[in-house]
Order: sequence, then structure tokens, then C-alpha cells
Amino acid sequence: MTRHTAETDLALYASGDLPVWRKLAAAWHVRGCEECRGLVETFRLDRDGLHQAADRLPEDIDWDQLSAEMTANIHVGLAAGECVTPRAPKVEVLAWWRPAAAAAGIVVLVAGAWWLNVPQSDTETIAHALQSMFTGQRGTAAQTPAQEDRGPMVRSSSAGVELVENGGRLGIEQSGLLPAMYSVSTQGSASARYVDQDTGQVTITAVYVQ
Amino acid sequence: MFSKFIPKSVPVLAAMLAWSAYGQSLNHKIDLPKDSPVGLLSADFGNSNVIARGGANQIEVNASLSLRNSSQKRIRSMTLMVYAQDGAAGGKGSVAVPTLDAAPGETFSIGIKTLLVRPLANGTPAVEVKLDGVLFDDLSFYGPDTLHSQRTMTVWELEAQRDRKYFKNLLETAGADALGKEMLASLARQGDRSRMGVQMVRGRATNVETDRELQFASLDIPESPIELSKGLARVAGNEARAPRFDIRNRSNRTVQHLEIGWLVKGQQGREFQAASVPGDVKLAPNQSGQMTQDATLRFDRPLAIESMSAFVASVEFSDGTQWVPSRSAIEQPRLRQVIEPSPEEQHLSQIYNKKGLQALIAELKKF
Repeated sequence: MTRHTAETDLALYASGDLPVWRKLAAAWHVRGCEECRGLVETFRLDRDGLHQAADRLPEDIDWDQLSAEMTANIHVGLAAGECVTPRAPKVEVLAWWRPAAAAAGIVVLVAGAWWLNVPQSDTETIAHALQSMFTGQRGTAAQTPAQEDRGPMVRSSSAGVELVENGGRLGIEQSGLLPAMYSVSTQGSASARYVDQDTGQVTITAVYVQ
Repeated sequence: MFSKFIPKSVPVLAAMLAWSAYGQSLNHKIDLPKDSPVGLLSADFGNSNVIARGGANQIEVNASLSLRNSSQKRIRSMTLMVYAQDGAAGGKGSVAVPTLDAAPGETFSIGIKTLLVRPLANGTPAVEVKLDGVLFDDLSFYGPDTLHSQRTMTVWELEAQRDRKYFKNLLETAGADALGKEMLASLARQGDRSRMGVQMVRGRATNVETDRELQFASLDIPESPIELSKGLARVAGNEARAPRFDIRNRSNRTVQHLEIGWLVKGQQGREFQAASVPGDVKLAPNQSGQMTQDATLRFDRPLAIESMSAFVASVEFSDGTQWVPSRSAIEQPRLRQVIEPSPEEQHLSQIYNKKGLQALIAELKKF
């Protein structure tokens, strides 16, 4: 079914007052729609009739007053039209966005506060406990946080060397370099060796249990 | 009410969050003794800062020290100690440069990139950098030696002398092409070597799985002053603990310290150097003894330990002199694949890799 151009647009089209794009659309429609073409013709005839009537008006008309009355009548007509035109139901597509945005903001703040204030070791322990609860399995030694160990711990890996002791951590790395080798000593130290790619200078970093 | 509350509280909470993440300045101190053989020319701690994280201060030290050799001897290596000045326990760190070779009056720089996480405490966090030791080309030493740097740096220097001599000899007897091939082989070995992250804790870790006793295979170096006759460790999953070695001093000098290399092979067949086992002993000539360590190694990745090997990496005699394996000893195929190259070999091979054969030959001719 062809959707007709609105009558207001047809009236404006008849008087040549439509903007360019809407005018083109209306012209395209009117060309193929006999009903709308008839309406446009009617509007044009009415307009011509008004022009002829205007020529017959007395010369002492107060045009300002007439203009004001016509404007008021148009407003009244539009308001009345609003009352009788059936309204399309307002679709509340984004009705949920406010609580969702608020919830997302709270999540971000809680995560940020957690990150800033809860030690990583505690986070790891909680994550490990939750994992154990859900899987029903005890973690392997590699998954078990080092903080469960009784004493200090040193660690060497491709990330460098690290000492964890008494709630403190000490890690040493070299800017932008991966260690060429790394190792631990059973007397309580970990070391990593870095080679400068340009000069060949070797730097060895280490951490020691006190 | 909900929507009215959120817009007002979000900026406040976000501001609190941003404030707590804001970095503070870091106090730092560089402590070089008055009679130190190195002088501090400048210290740049430009990007260092302190940020509150997880109930602790995260102290990032990004420093570059410019130093000058103010002694009359060539400095072959140097160790700086780094630690937090908050009085809390938490260990020390060090940054060492084993391939320095700074002539008298020469300037050089050392970069320190350290991350310390300390419990929150009153006052501005501070970090101190101290000189722990300087080793000269004649093997003389200067420094408080808090970290036993003298022993470590002497081993590095002996290995450096051994390897430079080997490569210079190769150049003289077999030519530059042979030296180039040797460097390529060294770089290939370094690239192929297996590595695995490892943790070390004193005593026994929490893993209570049933463990088993596994014997070390001894990689005997005939020239070594110490003979490894037997070695055992307890193994469970990807943990190995409590290494114990039976040793015998087969030299005619008293041994006071030794270091054993601990190699681990997983079921996938990859073997790597997992740890070193240093120990203070007092072994007279021909005397036997036992060396034990109450320590547990835990590997970062799941690893079913299939076998373990051990070799004597260095020995210190009672007069302070040290022994390291000769080049021919570490050229044994079995050791060659697993033993780590010396810092000097890595230094030389990188010069070859980056600058070419002529640059390497020029470097070898320096000393």
C-alpha cells in the first residue's frame, strides 16, 4: 500500500513553500498518485480563489489585526488537530538505561576501590577459595597463592625477580627488557640476567631474603 | 531517588578514587662511602613515584646513575644494593653489572628499575641505594659485601677470564671464521635453552600431596675439587624440596663454600637449570660431608619431574680463592646443553650479534 504524503506537505507543495528535499519527494509522489495530485490541484485552486478574493477586499482593512487573528486561529486549529489525531504509542525502548548506567557506575567504583585498597594477595586468596568452592577441587601447587607459605618467598620468571615477605613485596626488572636467564638460589635469593641489545652490557638483578 | 543520588555521588566517589591513585614524590638517598672507588656524577630519579595500591604503597624507582671510576685500577664489576628505608622487614634487592670494565677516570651509567610494594606507613616513602661491592681486574675487592657480592663477582670474573682466553685462543689458532661460528653456536644455545619460572620458599610449602624421593644424577666434572657422590630430593607434582648431597673434597685444600647447579627434566623431555644450591661447608682435604638445604622449589607451570641432575658450579677454598669449571669441562655435550653461559660469553656474543665479527675481535683485544 502506497503511503500518501501528508496533507500539510501537499498544501505547502502547492504553494511552492516546501524545502528542496521534501519538495522533490512530494513531487515524486504526486506524479504517481492520482489522489494526492487531486488534493494538490484543489489547494492550488483554493489559493487562486483567495488571491482573487483578496483583490475584491475593501481598502481600509487593518492587516495587522487580521494577521494576528489568523495566527491565533491557526494555533487554535493546530491544538485542536493535536487533540483529535490518533497518537502512536510512545515506545520506551531505552527505559532501562538509567538503572543500568547507575549499576555500571557502581560496579566500576567498587572495582576501583577494591583494586586500590585490597592487597593483591587477598584478592588471589579469595579468587582461589571461590574457584575451589565452584569446582570442588583443591588447586595445584602452582595455582596456590604463595602467601599460604609460611616463610618468605622469592620468585624468578620472565617478569623479573620478586621477593614476598611480611606483607611487603620487592620486585626488580630492567626497562623494556626480558631477562636472558633467571634462577633462584636455595639460600634465599632470586636473580635475573639482562643483556643490553645495543652495547651487550649485562645487568644482573637480584632479591634476597633477609 | 535512586537516579538523584547517583549523579551527585559518582563525581565525589570518582574524585576520591582519583585522589587515592595520585602519585606522591619519593625520597631517595644514594650512599657511597667517602673512600669509594666510584664517584657519583649525577642521579636522575625523574620517573620515580609512589602510588597507593591495594592497602600498600607501590614505590616505583626509575633511576639512572652516572658514575666515575675514581680509583687507579680497572673496575670489572659492581653491585649496588637497593632497599626501602621504612624500617619494615622486606628484604633487599641489588643491581649488578658484571661486564663493566671501566678504566680509571672513565664514566659509566647504571640503570635501576625497581618496584617495591610496602605496607602503608606514616611519612614519605624513601629508597636507599648503597654500594655493596666493586671488583677490580686484579680480583681485589672494595665494599661492605653485605650481599656476599665479592664471592659472586669473583666467580663472574673468573668465568670471564676463562671465556675471553678461550675465544682469543680460538681466534689465534683457528681464525676469525671459527670464532664467528662459535659465537653463532653460543647464540643458538642461548636461544634454545629451556626456562621456567620458579618460586623458592624456605622449609616446606603447603602442598601436602604424597611426595617421593628422587635421586640426582651427578654430572661429574673430573677436575672439580668436590665430588658429588649422591644427591636426593623430595618431589611431589611440580614441587621439589629438601635437596641433600653427599660430597667429598678431593683436592688438597680446605673448602669453605660451594655451589651446586640443580637441573630438572620434565616428562616432556625438556631439561633446564632450576636453581643453584649454595652452601657453607668446612671440608678438609679428602674429607666427606653432607650438604642439605631446607628449601622448596615450586615451578610456575605444571611439571611432572622425571629426573634431576646436579653439577658442581663453583668452589671457594679457605684462603678465599675460587674454582670454576674449565672451558673444556663445560664443553662436555651433556653440560653444554644445560649449563648457563657466563655473563661475559653473553656480553661477547651480543657484541658479535649486534656489531659483527670485527667489533668482537676489537673487544677481545682490549684485555
